[in-house]
Parts: sequence; C-alpha cells; structure tokens
Amino acid sequence: MNNNTSPMKQVAWMPLVIATMLIIGVLCPPQALAQLPARFYWKTLSGANAVPLVVEVLNSNTNPFDSAHTVTPGADVDATLALVGYARTFSLFDRATMAALIVPMGHISGDVTVAGRSFSQSANGFGDPMLEFDINLIGPPAQKNIPDVIRYEPGFSVDLLADLAFPIGKYDSGKPLNIGQNRWYGRVGLPIVWQLGPWVPGRRTTLELLPAIWFFGDNDNYVGQNMETDPLFQLDVHVTRDLTEHLWGAVDASWYYGGKATINGVAGKRLDNFGMGITLGYQINDNINLTVGYKTTLDDKGADDLKMDCFMVTLVYGWHPLLEGSKRLKSSEK
Amino acid sequence: MNQGKKVFGHLLTRWATPLAKKFTYSCSMAGNPVNLGPGLRTVGIVVNVAAFAVPAICAAADEPRRPNIVIILADDMGFADMGSYGSEIKTPNMDSLAKDGVRFTNFYTHASSSPTRSMLLTGVDTHLNGLGNMDEWTAPNQWGHDGYEGYLNDQVVTLPQMLRDAGYHTYMVGKWHMGKSPKQIPAARGFERDFSLLDGAGSYWDMTNFTAASPKTVFTEDGKYLSKLPDDYYATKTYTDKLIGFIDANHGDGKPFFAYVSHQAPHDPFHLPRDWRTRHVGEYDKGWDTVRQERLKRQIELGIMPADTQLSERMWFIPDPIVLAPAPRAILGKKMELYAGMVENMDFHVGRLIDHLKKIGEYENTVFIVFGDNGAEGTDLFAMIAGTPGTRDFLYAAIKWSQTHPNAWGDPGSYVGYGPMWAQVSMTPFSQYKGWLAEGGIRNALIISGPAVKRPKGGINRGLMHVADLMPTLLEIAGASYPKTYGGHEVPALLGKSWVPMLAGRTDTPRSEQDYLAWELFGNRAVRQGEWKLRWEYEPFGKGEWELYNLAADPGERKNLAAERPDKVKALLALWDSYVRTNNVILPSRSVFEALKDKLPQRVPDDPGYPPLLYKKQFVPPKDMLADPKP
Repeated sequence: MNNNTSPMKQVAWMPLVIATMLIIGVLCPPQALAQLPARFYWKTLSGANAVPLVVEVLNSNTNPFDSAHTVTPGADVDATLALVGYARTFSLFDRATMAALIVPMGHISGDVTVAGRSFSQSANGFGDPMLEFDINLIGPPAQKNIPDVIRYEPGFSVDLLADLAFPIGKYDSGKPLNIGQNRWYGRVGLPIVWQLGPWVPGRRTTLELLPAIWFFGDNDNYVGQNMETDPLFQLDVHVTRDLTEHLWGAVDASWYYGGKATINGVAGKRLDNFGMGITLGYQINDNINLTVGYKTTLDDKGADDLKMDCFMVTLVYGWHPLLEGSKRLKSSEK
Repeated sequence: MNQGKKVFGHLLTRWATPLAKKFTYSCSMAGNPVNLGPGLRTVGIVVNVAAFAVPAICAAADEPRRPNIVIILADDMGFADMGSYGSEIKTPNMDSLAKDGVRFTNFYTHASSSPTRSMLLTGVDTHLNGLGNMDEWTAPNQWGHDGYEGYLNDQVVTLPQMLRDAGYHTYMVGKWHMGKSPKQIPAARGFERDFSLLDGAGSYWDMTNFTAASPKTVFTEDGKYLSKLPDDYYATKTYTDKLIGFIDANHGDGKPFFAYVSHQAPHDPFHLPRDWRTRHVGEYDKGWDTVRQERLKRQIELGIMPADTQLSERMWFIPDPIVLAPAPRAILGKKMELYAGMVENMDFHVGRLIDHLKKIGEYENTVFIVFGDNGAEGTDLFAMIAGTPGTRDFLYAAIKWSQTHPNAWGDPGSYVGYGPMWAQVSMTPFSQYKGWLAEGGIRNALIISGPAVKRPKGGINRGLMHVADLMPTLLEIAGASYPKTYGGHEVPALLGKSWVPMLAGRTDTPRSEQDYLAWELFGNRAVRQGEWKLRWEYEPFGKGEWELYNLAADPGERKNLAAERPDKVKALLALWDSYVRTNNVILPSRSVFEALKDKLPQRVPDDPGYPPLLYKKQFVPPKDMLADPKP
C-alpha cells in the first residue's frame, strides 16, 4: 500500500487552479457592440492584477469608438481598434471589487454624410480613457485568500457597475469620425452571473446578464454642431460553457434600446437593435488567457438600423504576487 | 347456514394463519426451531384456533418475541468518529442508540475489511474461514491452502444461515467482499433477501470500479447478478431503501428479522450528494493536531478514555499543520469536510431506518449493533492503484477517475480519500490506522442497544471484546446454538465468547484475565491478554521485531516495554505460538508492506516544537528599551 509518502503532494497542483481562476475574463473592450465578452465579471483573488490587450477589426455604419452607436445612414466605416488597460481586484466592505482603466486607440476610416455634408476621412490616435468600477452586491464574499478561492462558487451573483469615460481622446471637430468623443459619458449596470450546475473547471456553465444604461453628455462641437444623445439601454446575455478545463465557449446576444441622437435640434432615430455573436476562450498558461470572437447585428436591413460586425482577439495577462512568488520558489527547486 | 359457514371460514383464515405463524415462532423460542412445513400447516391452524379459544394453551404465545437484530457496519469508520465517542461530526441517530444502549471501548475488529467481515459472520478465525489473507493480497506461499481461499470457505457456517434456520428472516444490504461466484454470494451464504455490492469498494453513484482489469463493480439482488443499478442510485440511500422494503415485505408475519446493514460509507472515494458536502466548510482548516486534541478532550469528558490518556504520536511523515500555508490546510481540510459529510449522511440514513422501525412498532424489540469494520483508512488506495503515470490503471483512471478539482470532489469520477493525518484523527487517541495492528488499526467503537441490553442506558463498558463474539452472542439472543456439524461436515470451533451475560449486567467482560486475542494480517501480528499487548509490524510502522505495550497505561502505544519486561514478552509469545498452531496461521511470503521502509521518509521521533527554528516566534523587545538609530 502506498502510505502517502508525501501528503503535501496532494496540494502541489493547487496554484495552477488558482492561476486558472485569476486570468479568466478579466477586462475586455466595452466598445464593440457596446458589449463586454462573457465571463468578464467573474471574480478572482483580491490583489490580482491584469493587463489586457484587445484588438478588434470592425465594419459598421456607426463610429465603433462611440458607445452611443449613433447610426449615420449610408455610412461605411472600417476600424482597427486596440485597447490596453490595467485592472486590479480588491476587497471593499468584504465584497469583491474591481477597478480598471482602459485606454482605446486605433485607426478609423470611412465615408459619412452628416447634415448633408459628405466626408471621406480617417482618424487615428488615442481615444477617451475609461474608468470602470465594479462591486459585488449579491453573492459570496470577496476572495481574500487562497482558501476563499478554493471554496468560491458564484451561485447567483449581482454586481453594481459604474463606468466613466473622460473626453481627452484625440478629437477633430471638423470630422465626424473621431477616436475621442468630445463628451463625458458613462454607464451604470447590474452584471449578473448565474451558475448553472457544478463549478468545476471543464464543466462550468453560466447564464450571464448585463442590464445597463449608458448616459451621454453633449458634444457641443460635432462637425460644428451640437449633439445630444438620449440614454441608451443595453442588455447583454451570454450562455457560457466550459468545453475542457482550459477551453470555453459562449453564445452572446445584445439588445440596445434608445440612444436617440439630436443634432442641432433634429432628432434621429432611436436604436432598437439586436446582435449576436460567439466567443471562444482558451487559457494558454497560468498567466495568459486568449479569447477570439465574432459579433454581428441582426435584422439590420433598414437604412437607419445599426449595422456592425466585428472580429475580436483579446489577450489578457494576469498575475498575483503570491502566485508569482510561489512559482519562483518552485522553479528554484528544479 | 351456508352463509354462516363462509363467515366462519373467512374468520378462520383471517385469524388462524398469522396465529399459526406465531405458533411456529413461539416453538422456536425454546432454542429448538420447529418448522411446521406445509403439510402440517393445517394442523397448525387447527391447533391455533383452539389456542385462540382456550387461553390456557395460549401461554406460549404470551412469551416475549425474539428480538430483531440489526447490525450496522460502517466501512472504515474510526473509533472517534461518532459524537458519542468524542467527534465533532454530527451523528445524532447513532448517538441515540448509544443513549438507549451501551458504548464499548475495548472492542476489536481485524485490521481490514474482509477479515473482519468473515469473523463477524462466522465467529471463526480468519485463517480457518477463508480470509487468512485478503483476496487482494494473498501471498504465494498461502495459495491453495485451506483458510486462505480469499472468500468464505465451505468449512464454515454463517450467522445468517443459523438465524434463518432458527426462524429469522435474514436480510443484507451493502458491501459483501467475501466472494463473487454463485456459491459465495450472500444468497448462497444464508441471506433470504439481499442487495449487495460484492466488491470491497467502488463508486457510490454507479458501477465504476478502480482497475482496468476489473472495471465494473458487481452487485447482486436476491441472489441474481445485476446488469444495472436502480434509477437514482446512491449507495447509502439505496441500501436503506432496499432494507426498508425487505422489512416491510415480511412485516406482520410474526417472524423476527436479522438485518446486516453493511454500509459502504464512509470508505473512500468520498462520494456524496452536494448538499452534504458543505456542512463543515473551513472547520478543519485548523489542522489535524487540533482536532485530535479536541476529540481526546471530549472523550475524556464523556468517559470514553481515562483522564490521563495521551495521544499517540503524530506519524513522522505527516507535517505539523501549524507550519502549513492556508491553502494546503484548506485543501486537506476539505477532504475531512467530505469525510464528515459521509459519516453524517450515513447517520441520516441510519436515522431513516430507526424511524421506520419505530413507525412499524419494531424499534423496541430490535437489538442494534453499530461499529466500524477496521481502523480508519490512512492509505492512499487510489495512488496505489493508479498513481504511476503510464500504467494501465493510470490510463483507466484518466477516463474514469480524473475529476480532481476540489469542487468536483464527491461527484462521480472523483476519488478523494483523506490521508493518514485525518485517519489518525478518526482513530483518536490511538496509533496508526487501517491495515496495521496498532490500536488504530483494530480497536473500534461499538454501540449495542435493544432488549438484550440490561445495563444502565447510556453507559460505557471496558470489557475486552472481539468481532468474532457476535456469532455466539446473536445465536444466544436468537435462542439458537452453534452446531458441531453443518451440511454434513464438522465446522470449526468458535473463536469468540457470548456477550449475553455481560449485556445482561451479570458480568463486566466476556473474557477472563487469562483469555487472549490474537491477530495476523499481511504478516503483521499481535496478541492481547489483559492490559498487555505484544505487536510485530513491518518497518517503519513497526520495528520488524516484537514490541510490548501496556494498553491500560499507554493506549497510544508510545512506550515499547519489550526490553523492560522480557517475562511478559515470553508469556505473550507463548500465546502467539498457540494461536498460530490452533488457527493454521501461515505467515505470508509477500506483503503489501514489504517495501514500505524504502518508500517512507526515515523515521524520526515526534517531538512537539522541534526544530525551534520553525516554531520560535518573533522576538519582541521590551518597550522601554526601544530606540531609533543614532545619527
């Protein structure tokens, strides 16, 4: 009989589990289809850090850098968009909390007609940086140590989310297509993660919802005009499922309602659009997570309908000092 | 008139048949079972109708009914795992039996499953009944020898056979582990009804077994091999459901029943329903030493152990939990959380059985006997089978047993045992665990309640007892006696002694100071006489030589007195030699423990606080001597 020559061997693999939890779904772009990818609001160990790199290639009839998605009939816009950011998890009042800063950048070009004037233009540079704050309201307490991580299961979790973008991105008032938006805007939402079945890597299934409302300040110099935008209601829905311990997939859907833009008193059409997509995620190693996805609008034949399709690749690097130190010690043993 | 005859006939049928049955069983009470047989049934009816009419003849029917007998055998449950034995694990139902009955603190089983079960059901020493070694580990020099068949051999008569012949219904549910072929299964060895796992362990959820060579566990129901398991199968629940069904099917016919409830729980893998997994979250993060100390404290408060009892050493290859990081404490603690859930879930189903017997009016007339089959399991069975990458069983486990994430523990496909650290907790305050002949391998908790027990309720007894005593005890309770021959051949002599006088309060122990007990398994050996125990175990658990312990003063077997008391060693060795001769003991040429010395770290003493390097805390200087550096 094997008499457990080393009881500690039984826990030797555990840092891997923790690392897996660390880097799943931390940070992705809020702009594309105004939809975050699935598993974005999963919780991890307090004190974890993440740096995302997101690259999107889009085609649409709206400016993808603009979360209001104001449709310009007949527009044909191509964009290559990248985001980098930094996120940190921490415990606030014993609740899982995340704060993040995201900076968009990229290139945009296209043909747009605004107030009878046609523009064929391009723009590039840095966009409006966005601060994000998310705190869990309903669900397990913050994971303040590794035993908390080991015992964590989301069950039915509800967060309070607040985003605020600062209008300091590159903006040219003579052009309708810009990287920066020349106005304050932000969002309040209630991200929901609903665990369906066991919380075991390889078998996790979730239903995730994000009802949110975007608020927009006025752009007082939109090609020389004033643009007001009504609040936009957004509902994201994801059904996610592990395919293996390190590979997962999601079916994504979004619905937008509202966001009517009024330019110099002339009201546009409010959005009432539906989009769908799929996402695949893969954990490359203890620190790096990769997702690829495609999203597109549906029922978008009308001239005023939002049209957008987007390929997205995200690479997120996550770390925690505890795990990095453990790895250094382990590697020095070899 | 004809109508009157019909009514009379109806009344005759309605009343006479059960009375005839009652008469039959009343006749059995004298210890001479009488089966009227179909041919005499009419006579019985007539006799009993007469008895119904004439009270004087009814005296026999007024005698107390023989009691039902329920043996609840928990697989690998440790001495200290029930609340009534000092555990923090919640076992209110088994504790209620302890409250209604008596607890015993010097009860011995064998060191592993099938040897214990063989003695339980035959009363004969393992080396004679076929389980001289476990089937899984029979040594080459034992092959082909009588007594080492690896299953209950044909020489012995079983307890259910005797009780069935004495007029009892005989039921079994759960683990058998004493043979799989048609002549070896429960139905062939005396059980009238059964739902049995023939293997020694397996999944609690399905028929998944541990090795590629034997990938499916084998079950029988009423003597037929099952092609599949019932819907919604979960071992502990299903066994209980089946037993309740057996009891109900025959309830009212007047016959008492013998039920052998041989639970698979809490043997690893720790499979259990989700809502039973989270009842002790974080409770065991404090580590095994603390839990062991807490259990011993409660045992002393309860009177289970004497006030001066010392814990056995923490085995030298188990880390002091104080020096562990929170993560391994949580992970290893979670294993104990699951184990506690296993015991609690089993207790819940024991409670269902108790409640049912109360509901049908049988509880007061039922003798309950509750114990574990051997010491708690400290060996990593899964690692032993599938722990070597590239082996056949490793690949089998990769498909069938690879749900290793802690959140999957308890699910089908997960394999969790709790390791030697928690096995020592289960065996508080004793040393070692299952498979070994230290007290932690063979001494177990025992609860007996019911009409046979006349001792004060809730009491504790320290009489020296052995699992082989159950055969003579239960035969005496049932009014039967052990035969010299059975099935046309002589049967081996009983090893045990009846507990009936002790349960009745006429004596305090079934054994005199001269009586002794002896064990041999896997080449390890032991003899106990009075408070002395002589023990030989493979290194490094033992010394590879005889060790002597005084169990009254040192139940944790910390101090080897062999050098100080050569006279005792000599006397006990003589008993050992007698045991070997009498019971056909063939020491195995190979043993599961033969190479263990090369696998374990070098044995060192267990000295709390050593080395100080790891234990001395931060020095804090006196406040009045603190100063900032000078410029």
